[in-house]
Amino acid sequence: MIRFHLERSGVPTYLQLVQQVHQAVRLGVLKPGDQLPTVKEVVGTLTINPNTVLRAYKQLDIEGIVEGKRGVGTFVASDARPTPPDDDRKALRSALDRWLARARAAGLTDDEIATLFDDTIRPPAISRVA
Amino acid sequence: MSAISTDALGKRYGSTWALRDCTLEIPAGSVTALVGPNGAGKTTLLKLAVGLTRPSFGAVEVLGLAPREDERELMPKVGFVAQDHPLHMGFTVAETLKLGQRLNPSWNDDIARTRIEHLRLPLDRKVGKLSGGQQAQVALTLALAKQPEVLLLDEPVASLDPLARREFLNSVLEAVAEHAMTVVLSSHIVTDLERVCDHLVILSESRAQLVGSIDEIVASHRLLTGPLADASDVARVHDVIRASHTKRQTSLLVRANGHVYDAKWELHEVDLEDIVLAYLGYGVAEYELEEVVR
Amino acid sequence: MIWLGWRQQRTETMIAAALLVLVALILVPSGIEMAHQYTRDGLSHCLGFTPSQACDEAVGSLEQRFNKFIDLIGWFNLVPGLFGVALAAPFALELERGTHRLAWTQSITRRRWVVTKLGLAVSSTVLAAAVLIGILIWWRAPLVRLDGRMDTGAFDSQGTVILGYSLFALGLALAVGAVWRRAIPAVMVAFVGYFVARIFTDTWLRQRLVTPHKLTWAAGRDDPRALWHAWKISETIVSINSHSGLPPMAECIRKGATNVKQCLAVNGGHLQAVFEPASNFWPLQLVETAMFGGVAIALIAFAGWWTLHRE
Repeated sequence: MIRFHLERSGVPTYLQLVQQVHQAVRLGVLKPGDQLPTVKEVVGTLTINPNTVLRAYKQLDIEGIVEGKRGVGTFVASDARPTPPDDDRKALRSALDRWLARARAAGLTDDEIATLFDDTIRPPAISRVA
Repeated sequence: MSAISTDALGKRYGSTWALRDCTLEIPAGSVTALVGPNGAGKTTLLKLAVGLTRPSFGAVEVLGLAPREDERELMPKVGFVAQDHPLHMGFTVAETLKLGQRLNPSWNDDIARTRIEHLRLPLDRKVGKLSGGQQAQVALTLALAKQPEVLLLDEPVASLDPLARREFLNSVLEAVAEHAMTVVLSSHIVTDLERVCDHLVILSESRAQLVGSIDEIVASHRLLTGPLADASDVARVHDVIRASHTKRQTSLLVRANGHVYDAKWELHEVDLEDIVLAYLGYGVAEYELEEVVR
Repeated sequence: MIWLGWRQQRTETMIAAALLVLVALILVPSGIEMAHQYTRDGLSHCLGFTPSQACDEAVGSLEQRFNKFIDLIGWFNLVPGLFGVALAAPFALELERGTHRLAWTQSITRRRWVVTKLGLAVSSTVLAAAVLIGILIWWRAPLVRLDGRMDTGAFDSQGTVILGYSLFALGLALAVGAVWRRAIPAVMVAFVGYFVARIFTDTWLRQRLVTPHKLTWAAGRDDPRALWHAWKISETIVSINSHSGLPPMAECIRKGATNVKQCLAVNGGHLQAVFEPASNFWPLQLVETAMFGGVAIALIAFAGWWTLHRE
């Protein structure tokens, strides 16, 4: 069962929820057939607007990641295969560009940058909040 | 369909206007924040909506009904928690629920009992002996157990500690998740607006300054920064909410009517909190752009 | 709503009940004693207009024995006022604390709330007053047979006026509480108002409510029959057909007369009394009750109207 969390990142709340579901499916934390928390449960944990949760679940439904079963709950679809949406890619890319510029301005060589990157990525930085 | 709609609504006490020329609509099913400083008219607006006072001017309709004239038909559908959540201090929790049951034909005792159990409130304790947060929860139970279509909360968390405040908001939102209802929540605290609410009404100086969905508000407001300049060019096309100047820089918070074409301005998105503060008359936080991925 | 109304005036109802119990505890034992003595001494034979000396003695003995209770009845004049203001307190307290707004945002109408609350207060007051009247009439029955019930001390406790008094105190407290919205000051102001109204009525107003009778008779003669068990408002000595220049009583004092009645009669002295006869008991009771009750109804209606229209 996934547990949602919120970050003050400027990303709209519903989108954060969507992304967290994507991530969870990608990493296998959520498998096809698993049930997502009910709207009430998410609201109870995060103190957010139920409409936001509904919006996130609706988007996931449209993307084919989840399917809602009326009166029962929302479940991960059997053929769920999330890809990062284009916006995400673009934002990530430009943020990476800026970060690289900053690293170089700080005096790091390309090798040092690569080492830094490897070290960061290798113990996989998955926030697996059970 | 509007849950609440007002038409040039005004209320005057003597020569002071508590609320003036207020025309707005609150959509059904929304969770609306009613924001403004003390004395801005929030309590007055809610009291007018629930029939506790009469308009001096204009009209208000809730679910298409007039709060005073259609009192008998409307009141079962409206739940209200007043600012000081008045309860009978000498009554026990059980007696308070009985009050709700006797005075509300649409009362659902299961909802009431389940809530009280879930909150672990002792039924035989006198209300006067409960903490502020617990009293607020009892008042909320009274409002929720009659299964209203519209829930009006007047600064219910103002006097509560942060934990009690969280729990109260949680209760409200869980109730909305379970039974669709329109919620109007008045507060002079502007943090956490965006996560809890999807619509916003800003009241200041007894007038409605801004009304709309939060998404739309955040999407349409921008902070323009640029070299020291006059705001009048921009003001011709867009609504300049707040202008501030330093020796070398000008910042304008605008509500954009279309694109901002003038290349000398740099555009930034604005936090909802800063938008609200600007409308309430406070300065917008100056931004320093961070280059780290956020 | 009815449950809510009763629950809210629970304390005040108990106060009123406690007052009644207190009154009963004081009066019931002595009342039984007094009735017993009345029958034992056969005082029913002393009811004629011209009693014998034996009767005088027996009646005097009864009155003397229960004198202190008769004095206490004076204090019981406060009780209707206490009922009224106590039973008005719940309404005033609700307005002071704002809990009426809690009721108004449930599903009953404001009008129904006001009517039910005021209705309960009125009916409780009427009930308490009725019980009090019952106890007082029962207690005083022997004395009433002997001395009538027109005297100020008796009149106040023997009929419907107590109902009027209680409702007046209730109405006053409700009206002040509705406007002022502070329960304790309202109760105090209303009680003082009740006190003043009672004193005013007893000392000045009552004798003007129903036209009193006037009779003059020669000093030597017996008191006229009409004065039996009447309320003597005033009794003066007037001079008719006097021979000397001095007023009759002054003349008798100057002469050093030993038989005053005879002396007065000789000097043309007449007694003149302004009084309310016993037959005016019910007219007076009803007029006074209607007066207090009428004002009470107006005050209660005002309290309800003001509460509904103020917000």
